Amino acid sequence: MTPILELRNITRIYGEGDNRVIAVDSVTLSLNRQEMLLIMGPSGSGKTTLLSMMGCILRPTDGEVIIDNKVVSDSDEDMLPDIRKQYFGFVFQSFNLFPSLTAVDNVELILRLKKHDRKKLQADALRLIERFGLAKRGDFYPSDMSGGEKQRVALARALAGDPPIILADEPTANLDSKTGLDVLRHLKGLAVEAQKAIVIVSHDPKAETMADRVVYLEDGKIKDK
Amino acid sequence: MYWLALKTLFHEKGRLIITLIGIVFSTVLSLTQIAMYLGMMGNATSILRHVDADIWVAAKNIQNFDFANPFPEERINRVNAIPDVVWSDKLILTWGFLKLANGGQEQVQIIGFNPDSGIDVPWNILAGNPEDLKSGRYMIIDKTAEQRVGRLELNTIWELNEKRFKLVGLSEGIKSFTTSPIVFMSYNQAQGFMTMTGRKSNHASFIVARLKDKGLSRDVAETLKVSLKDNDVFTKKDFIYKTVMYWTVQTGMGMGFFLTAILGLIVGGAIVGQTVYANTMEHLREFGTLKALGARNSDIYKVIFAQTGISAVAGYTIGSVLILLAKDGIEKAGVSLYLSAGLFLSLFFVILLTCLLSAYFSVRKVRTLDPATVFRM
Ligand SMILES: Nc1ncnc2c1ncn2[C@@H]1O[C@H](COP(=O)(O)OP(=O)(O)O)[C@@H](O)[C@H]1O
Ligand SMILES: [Mg+2]
Repeated sequence: MTPILELRNITRIYGEGDNRVIAVDSVTLSLNRQEMLLIMGPSGSGKTTLLSMMGCILRPTDGEVIIDNKVVSDSDEDMLPDIRKQYFGFVFQSFNLFPSLTAVDNVELILRLKKHDRKKLQADALRLIERFGLAKRGDFYPSDMSGGEKQRVALARALAGDPPIILADEPTANLDSKTGLDVLRHLKGLAVEAQKAIVIVSHDPKAETMADRVVYLEDGKIKDK
Repeated sequence: MYWLALKTLFHEKGRLIITLIGIVFSTVLSLTQIAMYLGMMGNATSILRHVDADIWVAAKNIQNFDFANPFPEERINRVNAIPDVVWSDKLILTWGFLKLANGGQEQVQIIGFNPDSGIDVPWNILAGNPEDLKSGRYMIIDKTAEQRVGRLELNTIWELNEKRFKLVGLSEGIKSFTTSPIVFMSYNQAQGFMTMTGRKSNHASFIVARLKDKGLSRDVAETLKVSLKDNDVFTKKDFIYKTVMYWTVQTGMGMGFFLTAILGLIVGGAIVGQTVYANTMEHLREFGTLKALGARNSDIYKVIFAQTGISAVAGYTIGSVLILLAKDGIEKAGVSLYLSAGLFLSLFFVILLTCLLSAYFSVRKVRTLDPATVFRM
């Protein structure tokens, strides 16, 4: 089976001259369907930069990003939103939910963005929310939810529109260990049951035990351990 | 995305209210200023516009309709000498003092005309008949004068510059720029008032003429300018224009209204721009997240513009309703407001445009928002 996503010799350099930082240095990496890949490494090692390039949010300075056998790293700027829409769900450290939307509406928003069938918007948003154990929280605003609940809404949102890849940057960093574990289990579930490819950036030792594969990053390079 | 616009707009009620206050303020201020200005200009030209004449002859160097000076009335013969003239007539505009029941006096504008000609002054007759003015000391007063002179009852006798006049009719809504009450009487009677102010008799204030064809107005006016060297000759349009320009430009009044109206727009626009910008900044992380998830800039612009547009429509409607409710009260205080569908519509587009322009900074912020930063927010 071909990988859903491949990085070939990918490099990202920030700044110029004295401020030049090689955040990611010639990384080659592939991601398989139904796989949960964990990226670990010290702060500043380039994890977020790498994840952003995987998600077509950030352009590599050099190298190729290949999704579903198509080279996308040289796509027009104009094409990138549609690529992201089609292939990716994102989960953030600080949830990034719309404070003025309820849990269900936060999910419905993404369904609308992805031009989901109009008649099924609300039902499908609700189903996604329920899938993450939030049946009773659908009408709650983010300000009335716990961190774990918010991150589960974010998972439901990432899954909206059924993208094949979900990228999560330190999804448990703002959660206590128990709710963090819960969120990781849900992510694992997405890989196993929903056949998603999952990439998690995390320092969390619990993630290490759950991941199918772990990649260590140091100074922008993959390190064997 | 309009869905998102509505959801967030009504969720943040405090900010919505501030936005609406800004727009209502703009609407009320600009609308009243423009309506007052148009109302005043309407009054300043009401007789001018209503008399169905194509040509107006006035004394030399007249500034506007109300500042009429007398000139010899026999000059009407020169006007009648023009073959294209269907009819012509003389008009008098002069001033007098009406003695009030409480012993006080009120300065009034006197319009003297020949009720037999087709001049159709006064119009909007509530009671009586202009024909009744023909033979003696009779007058018609406009009902709006009641604010100034007290109750106007038919067949009562009033003293005008010590002459006794009988009130035989009432018109409604005929006002002049000066806000002095307007008294209509026969040409001969009015001429008497001009004589009293030291003028020779047989003088007129205006000669008006109707032509076979309105299209000839300019040519006839040019011809008459040659034969009436000591007069100013206008087409109807030019005299209206001259009068409006006098009050607007020479008195500086137009500039005053204009500046206040613009100020209203600027203050309102600033409030709207400020709240929309604050709203955008507050949602920057979410907008960035949307971009990361595949939203285009245009999707987010739609949200911002829709919110601004909805606020503009709501605020403008509230402001307009407030003005319509206050209209009677304002007019009772003697201020004429000219409010037409055209005015409401045009100002709506101006306010909408102001609001959308004020969203510009928010839109620029979104355009330069890099979705890669959302992992770092
Ligand atoms: N926008 C940026 N401009 C300049 N340098 C950056 C930028 N983003 C990240 N960096 C630098 O790139 C390196 C890698 O950062 P990052 O990818 O955030 O690492 P991590 O997520 O592992 O902490 C760091 O040295 C960081 O300072
Ligand atoms: Mg990071």
